Amino acid sequence: MEIYLPIAGMSVHWLTILGLGAAIGFLSGLLGVGGGFLLTPFLIFLGLPSPVAVATTASHITASSMSGALTQWRKRAIDLKMAAVMTLGGLAGTGSGVWLFGILRRAGQMDVVVSASYVVILGFIGTLMLRESLATLRATRAASAPLSTRTQHVWIHGWPLKARFPASRLYISVLPPLGIGFLVGALSAILGIGGGFMVVPAMIYLLRMPTNVVIGTSLVQIIIVAAATTILQAVNNHAVDAMLALFLVIGGVIGAQLGVRLSSRLSGEQLRLILAVIVLAVAVRLCFGLVVRPDEIYTVTVAP
Amino acid sequence: MRRVALLLLFWLTPAFADEHLVSGLSQDTIEIRANYNGAEITVFGAVERPDTEKPNVIVVVRGQEQDMRVLRKERVAGIWINRSRVLLRAMPSYYFVAGNRPLDRIAARDVRSRYAFGLDAVKPHGLKADDQPEPFREALIARMQRDRLYVQQEDGVEFLSGTLFRVRVPVPSTAPRGTYVADVYLLRDGKVVDTKSSDLVIDQIGVERQLYDFSRSRPLLYGVATVLIAMLLGWASSLMFRRAE
Repeated sequence: MEIYLPIAGMSVHWLTILGLGAAIGFLSGLLGVGGGFLLTPFLIFLGLPSPVAVATTASHITASSMSGALTQWRKRAIDLKMAAVMTLGGLAGTGSGVWLFGILRRAGQMDVVVSASYVVILGFIGTLMLRESLATLRATRAASAPLSTRTQHVWIHGWPLKARFPASRLYISVLPPLGIGFLVGALSAILGIGGGFMVVPAMIYLLRMPTNVVIGTSLVQIIIVAAATTILQAVNNHAVDAMLALFLVIGGVIGAQLGVRLSSRLSGEQLRLILAVIVLAVAVRLCFGLVVRPDEIYTVTVAP
Repeated sequence: MRRVALLLLFWLTPAFADEHLVSGLSQDTIEIRANYNGAEITVFGAVERPDTEKPNVIVVVRGQEQDMRVLRKERVAGIWINRSRVLLRAMPSYYFVAGNRPLDRIAARDVRSRYAFGLDAVKPHGLKADDQPEPFREALIARMQRDRLYVQQEDGVEFLSGTLFRVRVPVPSTAPRGTYVADVYLLRDGKVVDTKSSDLVIDQIGVERQLYDFSRSRPLLYGVATVLIAMLLGWASSLMFRRAE
């Protein structure tokens, strides 16, 4: 049965969006990412206007992150203190990101900047994660002894303003998480996404947090960013489609629960490997879109 | 004064005495409900007092005008980026045209361009002299045709008898809300001899309408409500799945 989406102004089959929501929610629960970098392009592919796709994705991310985070919370797999510090940096970053967004858009070429930054960031993060997780998996298999990264210290840990993060078993400076939050917040505002796929690797490789805590902590931060984005989009652009959101969210929360279930059965290295492969696949696809002659050279939009 | 009146009468009478049109729509409103998936309306009519020859009829349905921006990608340093853009003013948001025979056999070229009969004749308004809009206009029309928002049917007008005709007009669900105009033209020797016009309103009703109005009138509340519902559903799902275990 087709349902009519009042804000998007078109109809879509309800199973299509329920299934899409579930698939993205599954990844969200499994890997601790929001999945916005996958959902938005899919919705645009279905023919939804891109402002509606971007804005409504935020509400879906809010729901599936909430669902996943609550389950992680019961497993005591969240570092709330770390999440608070990073969110603080993140909100400041979002503010400057919105400002930068305006400058870039006035200069034109917004979508090229977005695609190119995606390719660079995703390619870099994906390659890093793939190499590391493969090496760890091989080492674990060879030595059949768990390799702990927890106690390793990185140079940035020694910065001033040290604080204890008991849930992550870390005693490090608050500046790196603040800075990461800020950078990711700024990039999120420009790219229109939650930023989980950048937060998760940063927590693992820069902050050296244990992988099991990373997913829940990242989800908490994403809830706040995505909720704020939804409200801002509703106020500024009137682009949040509640009907679309409802179906995406119902699919999303079910998918998220299944993802969380599976994530507790997989090892940290396996989870990192999956995320690395997805991130790299998206990077390659975007790179392709930039370099290969597009099917459609013309883009048609309704002028405001 | 009497001479003028007499002249006027002479000038007007042929219009009454000659063949002319009556026409109407199967429905004058399309209501968008929850399960709306586009609609089909029928424009019907009759040619009164036709000449001996078979009459020619063209039907045009237009949505409200909107400005469209068309961007063109070009390759710069190995990367495809949006290089040039053109604003096409006052293009119809929906356009349907049909005749009882191919349009170029019913209407002369200047008539087609004056009345915008056919996709070739749908042109933007107020272009600047240095614009080169043609490829952009063609790209826009191709895109709208793919989305079924622009339709041209060479033989869409179906004559049920010597004088009675009808045409089925498909309206996809993506056609925007608003007031549409359905114009019926009667042609003779390539020229328009009579025309009739009817309005068609596409509007949302029920829950869809209320949601739409809510998102416009109280956007902050609407955004907060959406977030709260999303969070509530997230919470409910985590509870439900815990019970299931």
